[in-house]
Parts: sequence; C-alpha cells; structure tokens
Amino acid sequence: MVDDPHFGYIFAAFLVAGLVVLGLSLSIWFDYRRVTRDLITLEQAGTRRRSDGDRG
Amino acid sequence: MSLLTYANPQRFLRFLHYALIPVLVIGALTSAVGLYAAFAFAPADYQQGETVRIMYIHVPAAWLSMACYGLMALSSIGTLVWRHPLADVSARAMVPIGACFTIICLVTGSLWGRPMWGTWWVWDARLTSVLVLFLIYCGILALWNAFEDPARAGRAAAVMTLVGAINLPIVKFSVDWWNTLHQPASVFRMGGPTIDKSMLWPLFLVAIGMTIFMIGLHLAGMRNEILQRRLRTMRLMAASGGDHG
Repeated sequence: MVDDPHFGYIFAAFLVAGLVVLGLSLSIWFDYRRVTRDLITLEQAGTRRRSDGDRG
Repeated sequence: MSLLTYANPQRFLRFLHYALIPVLVIGALTSAVGLYAAFAFAPADYQQGETVRIMYIHVPAAWLSMACYGLMALSSIGTLVWRHPLADVSARAMVPIGACFTIICLVTGSLWGRPMWGTWWVWDARLTSVLVLFLIYCGILALWNAFEDPARAGRAAAVMTLVGAINLPIVKFSVDWWNTLHQPASVFRMGGPTIDKSMLWPLFLVAIGMTIFMIGLHLAGMRNEILQRRLRTMRLMAASGGDHG
C-alpha cells in the first residue's frame, strides 16, 4: 500500500484523526488533573462544602 | 439499582471511578482491531483502490459527529424540561467531543475528496451542512464560556442546541434532497447497504469501538465538569468567608 500513489492522503487522514483524538483525550486528562489539584489546595486551606460537612 | 440512582453527581462520580478506564480501554481496543481488519482483511475498492481505507475513519467520525449532537439535544431537553442535575453537565461535556469528531470528518473527507474528486472542497449540500454543524458546535462552546454561572449558560446553550438540531436531518438527507458531489447514503438506507460485507464488518467494528471510546471521553468530560462546578462553589464560599473551616 505504501507504493500507492495516494498513500500520502491515506496516511495524512489517519494521522490527523489520531492527533485530534489524542489531543482531545490529553486535554480532558490534563483538565481533570488541574481541577483535582485545585480542589485539594482549597480543601487543605480549610474550605468545605456544606454537603461535605453534613457527611461528617 | 436503577439508572436514576446515578442521577446524584456523587454516586455518578463513584460509578465513574470503576467504569471509566474499562470503557476507554474496550473502546480503544475495539477500534484498533477494527482498523487492523480494515487494512489486513478488507479489500481495496475496484474504483478507488487503496484510498477507500480513509472510509474507515471518515464514516465513523461522520456518524459520531451527528450522534454527539443528538445526545446533546436529548441532554438539552433534560435541562429545559426536567432540570436534571446531570443533563447540562452531559451537554457541556459533549460539545468539544462532537466538535472534534466533526473536524475529523471534514478533514478526512477533504483528504479523500482531493484524489477522488480532484478537489479539496466543494460547496455542495452535504459538505456545507457538516461545516455548519461544526460552526454550531463552536457557537455552543462560545456560549458556554460566555456565562459566569453554569446554570444560566446551560439553559442558553440548551435553547441554541435545540434550535441547531434542525441541521441534523439536513445533514442526513442533504444527499437525497439536492444534487451533490458527495455520494448518497450507502449504509443506512432503504433497501440495505450497498457496501460489500467484506468492507462493512470492519467499518462497523471501527464505528462500535469509536462509539465506546466516545462514551468514555464523554464520561470523563462529565466528571471534569462536575468537579469544575464543585471547585467554583468552593471558591465562592472561600471568597465570601462562609462555611469556612
């Protein structure tokens, strides 16, 4: 298939799709890490939600 | 235990703790097996040759771009009618995922069109309506980011999502309603698929895998959105000095 005259188009299509899905997955993962880190920082500073307090 | 049990965000987060990774792994593995089958077992097309391999990524991306919007529209109904606590969380999490699958569909379609049609782009009804779908995703994302309060943003985005849903049947039936360079439907059509079974089963395998992976990304996005709202509440409490310590 590498010898196919349109191999570049096929390769580019799969490369773009892979990069977009990888980028989306990484952005969701980094967003999760950022939010959990900020939540831990706030909890360590003593901020609690009312619902957390109700659960003891 | 019913599905409604998971309507509580706290229970939903506990459920995700166990379910998220398996869903993503199953989705990725199924997609990988499907793509392997698409290259190893599916034949080249008698007219398009090897270029038909682009179909195995373009078509599932096209289906998912519409499926994501359909799920967003259902979530928007949940937001406006039932004010379900997870409905706008679901809608918000789906926007970037749907936009990404739509851009994959557009770019791979363009890369397929250049060698087969001799052009990167034509303003025919199918291509234009998919571009409009992408622009609607971008507009909804901008609307979500325009409001400070996620509840207000959710209601505004829900209305825009439901208005934009009119584009879904236009995308689907554009190839029937107008003369287009894009081919008519060849899988989901009256009279059954026109694609040979040897090409159809790898296509479905990739589509199923990508759908499961999309569900995993959606669940992960919902988790982020729930935690983001929790963070916002705690920051407001810390700023006001209430319920502190």
